[in-house]
Amino acid sequence: MSETLKPLKTVGHPTPRIDALERVTGAGHYTGDVKLPGMLYARVLRSPHAHARIRKIDVSKAEALPGVKAVVTLENCNFVWGAGSVAGGIQYNDEIKKNTRQRRHAFNNPVRFVGDPVAAVAATDRHIAEDALHLIAVDYEVLPHVLEPEEALKPGAPQIWPEGNFALNPRNEQQPMGQKRGNVEEGFRASDHVFEDRYSTAFVHNAQMEPRACVAQWEGDKLTVYTPTGGIANCRHDIARDLGLPDDNVRVICQYMGGNFGNKNQNQDADLITASLAKLAGAPVKLELSRKEDFIGMHGRWPTVQYYKVGVSNDGTLKAIQLRGFSGMGGYRKNSGAIGGIECYQCPNIETVITPVYTNKTVSGNFRGPEYPQGYFGIQSMMDDVAYKMKMDPVDFVLKNMTRKANDSAEYTNYTLEECIRRGAEAFEWKKRWRQSPGSDPGPVKRGAGFAFMSFRSGVGHSNAILRVDSKGRYFVHVGVTDVGAGAKTTMGLIAAEALEVPLSQIEVVWGDTGRCPFSVGESGSRTTIMTGHAVIEAAQDLKKQIAEKGLPKGSDFLTASAGPTPRIQGGKVRNTFGAHFVEVEVDTELGRAHVTKYLCVHDCGRVMNPLTGISQIKGGAIMGIGMALHEDLVYDRASGAPLSAGYYGARISTHRDVPDVEVMFIESDDGYGPYGAKSMGESSKVPAVAAVGNAVFNAIGRRMKDLPITKDKIIGALA
Amino acid sequence: MKAFTNANPRDLPHALTLIQQAQSSGRHASIAGGGSDLLGMIKERIVEPDVLINLRALKGLDQVAAEKSGLKIGGLTTLDALSRHQTIRRQYTVLAEAAESVATPQIRNVGTIAGNVCQRPWCWYFRNGFPCYKAGGNQCFSINGENQFHAIFGGGPSFIVHPSDTAPALVALDAKFHIAGPKGDRRLSPVDFFVLPRQNAARENSLANDEVLASIEIPSPRAGTRSTYHKVMDREAWTHAVVSAAIVLEMDKDVCRSARIVLGGVAPVPWRVPDAERVLAGQRITPELAAKAGEVAVAEAKPLAKNAYKVPLTKAVVRRTILQLVQRG
Repeated sequence: MSETLKPLKTVGHPTPRIDALERVTGAGHYTGDVKLPGMLYARVLRSPHAHARIRKIDVSKAEALPGVKAVVTLENCNFVWGAGSVAGGIQYNDEIKKNTRQRRHAFNNPVRFVGDPVAAVAATDRHIAEDALHLIAVDYEVLPHVLEPEEALKPGAPQIWPEGNFALNPRNEQQPMGQKRGNVEEGFRASDHVFEDRYSTAFVHNAQMEPRACVAQWEGDKLTVYTPTGGIANCRHDIARDLGLPDDNVRVICQYMGGNFGNKNQNQDADLITASLAKLAGAPVKLELSRKEDFIGMHGRWPTVQYYKVGVSNDGTLKAIQLRGFSGMGGYRKNSGAIGGIECYQCPNIETVITPVYTNKTVSGNFRGPEYPQGYFGIQSMMDDVAYKMKMDPVDFVLKNMTRKANDSAEYTNYTLEECIRRGAEAFEWKKRWRQSPGSDPGPVKRGAGFAFMSFRSGVGHSNAILRVDSKGRYFVHVGVTDVGAGAKTTMGLIAAEALEVPLSQIEVVWGDTGRCPFSVGESGSRTTIMTGHAVIEAAQDLKKQIAEKGLPKGSDFLTASAGPTPRIQGGKVRNTFGAHFVEVEVDTELGRAHVTKYLCVHDCGRVMNPLTGISQIKGGAIMGIGMALHEDLVYDRASGAPLSAGYYGARISTHRDVPDVEVMFIESDDGYGPYGAKSMGESSKVPAVAAVGNAVFNAIGRRMKDLPITKDKIIGALA
Repeated sequence: MKAFTNANPRDLPHALTLIQQAQSSGRHASIAGGGSDLLGMIKERIVEPDVLINLRALKGLDQVAAEKSGLKIGGLTTLDALSRHQTIRRQYTVLAEAAESVATPQIRNVGTIAGNVCQRPWCWYFRNGFPCYKAGGNQCFSINGENQFHAIFGGGPSFIVHPSDTAPALVALDAKFHIAGPKGDRRLSPVDFFVLPRQNAARENSLANDEVLASIEIPSPRAGTRSTYHKVMDREAWTHAVVSAAIVLEMDKDVCRSARIVLGGVAPVPWRVPDAERVLAGQRITPELAAKAGEVAVAEAKPLAKNAYKVPLTKAVVRRTILQLVQRG
């Protein structure tokens, strides 16, 4: 059993969000609510072609339309959008921007997907701006397009970049990603059984409630940008770098935002286009994307094709795992295209070779556990299948083969994976719900159970916080968070209250404004609680010391403490969070309907800072996983390369009726790191969810569904 | 969206006059009931009206009159009101269930029966601005494209499926469609109201541009009638039918005197399957007989490359819906 954590006074108790009232009463000021005097409204013209060279753009008629104040195209707005083509999946930096050859501009020629921006207009209202778009004459030379990564690598495929469709890395090399341990060929020779299979996953969109919006205002060479971003500090630095300004000249404000799920990291082309229009027009400009634009113009999860080869011995011990994977990046490499999941198995021989490939689809980028839900679906479906073929219970197979050290070498700071699985299996009544013989229920409606597990990064790292106290004992916590939905504002308040030993009501959190808040890592990578939370504790300790020495300040004075710690894990250990998901589905084989009837998540996230939002986080990830497993897909027309199912209706995002009552169990272990023992949470519950649902469908119907999403046509087709 | 003006007519004749005035001056008029779908199409520029004739303020057209001879449903009756109407729930169950299955509560609160029956196809080529038959063009992009949701019956040259849930229910109830127009009123049977692409590829019904679906009449059911609507979707709410069945059985104890079976989601119009109906007529309904009706219902199916799954699916829906209805008692 794990070490358990001692209860605390404020942290760990169910607490409503500190901004809940403002959010539900409409008082919260979102970017779309920002209205500045003399503000203009912008619309973006997007390519209707999947791949085309622009011969000529004539904007004269648009410019002549009364009310139009500025028009930008690649001819007068040609900066490089750094974060739009990260080229390698590592945090984009100035060095990469300088070196990388495959740069993405605000407007590109050729255009590389349906939805690639071609021009933008600012006018006195958005309807005039939209009318002006229709007056822009673009002469396109339509080029052949390619949509699927494997097709894009074939000789003779349409070339999306001069260097070919194998996307360059930051060093401008065509280098596959992957890892190698031992020797897989020897491992397969030493295996008693070798299994091979192919899995594929679809493009799914983050589908966060609030589409992208931006308001930009210039005062001289100083720029203020209101934008929904999970990281105001990164966003500011990105905007400054892309526009050639010092960081201090840019202020980014995000008071309320409507969801992120990885869609709103760093800066976006919308920010840069809006700023450019505002500069040209000499007036503040607002741009709001429609739902459809948000689906096709921003990014979603990269689709993958995964070929596995797995060797096991007669007793079910893994001997070798090989993965050859292909990721569709869209027209620009906005993230790595990695495929994760193999690292959660213990195996002496591993080889993964993953190729990021350009296609003429919407761009792939960050989305809640960027490389994991799709990778876990592949590897954990594959391993589930191997377990059945070895006549083993999948839970026993995993208990035998799951990771015990990171990459089989480094110790974890603590290890609760086995506990998550065992406690989950017991609470779920796995032995009762799981069919030893899959598909064996009589009649057309069949039940089955599936499971998947998860080990996800939970590292510590640098962030900042500033705390101030006034003469009345009111504490101001300045943190660069915006609350993407996980409750960061409230969590920072709780941590400060705990550390300062004062009630939450005495805390005022100051957030979401680079003019008033220090650096924070940004709400991506499930790291804000750990990193910024740690900084809050350090600043609070400093402030408490100052108060002990000097007493509370007098009059209008403040005492101030700041902290910017960079904690590290000691002894070469790796810090991870662990979990297991257990799912029961009912499949109506005649109607092709798969429906989740029971869902249990067991997670060790260290200390749960706020059970109210914590439980919601875990549930939300599971719900997204169900949608990705069973119905979400951005379908493309092959002939034209146009997306056909963009939006909440078309992409079949889960509705309330699709979602079961997800049960959440926490194991709160203590590994001695993180603020009060907190580990990462936000992304982790999405990671195993898709695989767990897929495995349950197999158990119910006895057919392995290898291509996402598991829709009616596939279920009925498999059983025909 | 393109700029347009809004006109609020006083009554139905005034509405018809406004439509005519717009058209005679070369302006395109769109008729708005609930507007829930129309507004989206205007925003996407799939429809570009110069004038919106807003029927919403018209008095009296949102009433359901239940009489001995049958029902008269005003075209502006909301789907929500239909699904909650006690007489409809009891005696015209298939219609209440169909209305209840449409979209979301928000849409049912504003969406009208006339709008639901007359809504344009949800084919993703049409909705994404492809110049197809339904948009006035001369091809159907689904034939060699993504046709997993397209027609297995009655297709060609367009392969859209009729999007309405209430339409199959109304056809199963033998409804009459009361149309108001400048040249007078017309009262059409389902076979004359709904039109196949081979009759008119650009349209789904025989309404002229200057006509309005004013009301719908349904004869009162004979004794022993029971009915139901079964809708299969690819998520649990807020989609159109992948396949649906509206079934009305007139029962004499356990013998079926007559049956009407109308399918949704499989054809460009609500698709009646008379051969399957005849399988049931005069028979005691057994699982075997229901299965035979399912077989017969899909005998004429001509699936495209990606929608063959609809054939066994339709077969199962017909069989199971008949049996559920019989068991319901």
